Amino acid sequence: MIQNDNSILVMGLGNYLMGDEGLGVHVIDVLLQEPLPGNVALLDGGTGGFHLLGHLEQYHTVIVVDATLDNNAPGTIRLIQPRFASDFPRAMSTHDIGLKDMITALQFLDKMPKVFLFVVSIESLQQQGTQLTPEIEAAMPELLYKIHQQIAALQYEQARELMLVEN
Amino acid sequence: MSKRIVVDPITRIEGHLRVEADIENGQIKDAFSSGTMVRLLEEILRGRDPRDAWAFVGRVCGVCTSVHSLTAVRCVEDALDITIPPNAELVRNIMFCAQYMHDHVVHFYHLHAMDWVDVVNALKADPQKTSELAQSISHWPKSSPGYFSDIQTRIKKFVDSGQLGIFANGYWGHPAYKLPAEVNLIGLAHYLEALEWQKEIVKIHAIFGGKNPHPNYLVGGMACAISIDDVSGINAERLAYVGQLLQDGKNFIEQVYIPDLMAIASFYKDWGAIGGGLGNYLVYGDLPANGYKDTKNYKFPGGAILNKDVSKVYDVDVRKDDEVQEFISHSWYEYKEGKDVGLHPWKGESKINYTGPKPPFENLDTTQAYSYLKTPRWKGNAMEVGPLARVLVGYARGREDFKAVVDKALKDLDVPITALFSTLGRTAARGLESVLVAQWAHEFYDQLLTNIKNGDTRMAEMSKFDPATWPKTAQGVGHTEAPRGALAHWINISDEKIANYQLVVPTTWNASPRDSKGQLSAYESALLGTPVANEQQPLEIIRTIHSFDPCMACSVHIYDEEGKHISRIGILEN
Repeated sequence: MIQNDNSILVMGLGNYLMGDEGLGVHVIDVLLQEPLPGNVALLDGGTGGFHLLGHLEQYHTVIVVDATLDNNAPGTIRLIQPRFASDFPRAMSTHDIGLKDMITALQFLDKMPKVFLFVVSIESLQQQGTQLTPEIEAAMPELLYKIHQQIAALQYEQARELMLVEN
Repeated sequence: MSKRIVVDPITRIEGHLRVEADIENGQIKDAFSSGTMVRLLEEILRGRDPRDAWAFVGRVCGVCTSVHSLTAVRCVEDALDITIPPNAELVRNIMFCAQYMHDHVVHFYHLHAMDWVDVVNALKADPQKTSELAQSISHWPKSSPGYFSDIQTRIKKFVDSGQLGIFANGYWGHPAYKLPAEVNLIGLAHYLEALEWQKEIVKIHAIFGGKNPHPNYLVGGMACAISIDDVSGINAERLAYVGQLLQDGKNFIEQVYIPDLMAIASFYKDWGAIGGGLGNYLVYGDLPANGYKDTKNYKFPGGAILNKDVSKVYDVDVRKDDEVQEFISHSWYEYKEGKDVGLHPWKGESKINYTGPKPPFENLDTTQAYSYLKTPRWKGNAMEVGPLARVLVGYARGREDFKAVVDKALKDLDVPITALFSTLGRTAARGLESVLVAQWAHEFYDQLLTNIKNGDTRMAEMSKFDPATWPKTAQGVGHTEAPRGALAHWINISDEKIANYQLVVPTTWNASPRDSKGQLSAYESALLGTPVANEQQPLEIIRTIHSFDPCMACSVHIYDEEGKHISRIGILEN
């Protein structure tokens, strides 16, 4: 089931047609242009729902990036480590049911990867179009930095575990 | 004295559908279906390059992503008079079939089965008896007592932990659940197997479409070069893999889906007389066996049936001004010419005018506009679209393959043909057409291999790709049979850009509000007369609506104003 022990998938979710809701897809577009370690794969998950299960279960660790509608200021970035579908923020975007279902499904199938979920607060799900609002644009550098930092931390942890095994 | 109950949202997947139903003496007397989210694709597309339309419309939703892209390339090709090479048609057909197999199986097990299968009751099943039953209905190998008891252990762990997840919304123990515990356990076991299986079949989209979700399409053909020995193209290894996936899909449908469907249906024959509704059916037709323009050779023939009369099938022309029209008398839109006219999509307008109550609200004023869905009509008639419409039109057109699967199912269940006009008929039709699609997929696949062996590797017709070759203005229409029913996009191109783009999607046909003449659309009509045993748990409403496989993401053109999407069932005294 798991291809190899240190594989990491960064998956951006969202609807590209609904403004800030699609920020996950924008993040993947940027990461595609940046150098990343060889064990890191990128996926524009769009509004994939059931289509994502095959991708999710192939990786040891999955970093998910998505928009959320909560009462925080637009652009607020939070990192959550959900273990159950119920740990997800309630008001995630239009595709949330798909992702939550997938998490339950992965548990049923005993193929749950380690999940790190970056959620970015947005102001509205009523936006139309492919542009991000200035508040979300302004949060992008910090979000990208945090994703890179998370990847680096995972790499360090994996290297350390490897060394402990070898020793 | 009637009571109004509100079910919102009613879907298990994308989107926002709200149903309000008036109940009197335990039966539904009147029903109102409302799309509460708006997504103005038409505005996003205006002014863009027509060759990019497929990429935008493919983003509408994650469920039937590729059928919108297919419809988009077809409408642009129609406008520019482009005929695609046979291989491109075959690859599109194979992707279409893979989409159907995926979508219908996922709908049956993951979005609809729990309306019939009681998960909690499955824990009471005897694994030995379950195994005997499973082996009596199918040769599917996973059927040992140990297999079923292992499934029970896994589910029990979940139920005990309180993390029901996907199963959290069920009305477990409701009196309308009629299956023996052993059938419930088979349904549940196959729910899990289908989860595993569904992720395989969609790989066909990644192979031909470069990625999944949201695979790539191309105006003029497909963007996948055939190169038998090349590691990066569609090579012999990848083609063989597609063949294997199609075979696995066919096996799953024939050995798991259909036996389960028939076993479950045999306990719910009363639903063969509930939820019929309109009796008018519309199919545009799809799966061209001899090119998209040769509509007579579609595997799914087009046509319309009125008043359940299968002795007469009417031809349908999506180009004619007076056939497909959209009305807004009960929709939150406005037309330049007022609320009462119907517009053919080439003249379509999409200006929103929300006049509903300010949220949060208890119920909608259904005498006024009450939905973000427009109301499409065919020659003024309200029509049902989807698997049942396709199976009935294929049957009524005398197609042998349709007759074979339909007659066998009716015989096995020992029900008359009239049982098809129902909630059960809709759910059964979805399974029956899956059998056909799985067979046809192999025909398309074999033809593709034959073409390649004969040296034809053409995959795209690019002579009209350059906008310099286009007329100053052009209009086109592309249609398909999405898993949920007839889907078409209409485009007007002016000075190389999209001047107008209108989508009329299956769920709009089915879930729209009534028209100015008071004619109900398919959901509303199908709910009339449906028994509701417990208003707090309107399982019966959900069964009928789910039998249509509602998916609202593309049919409503934003979110509920408050961004609220908490499941809620409200009851109001009326």
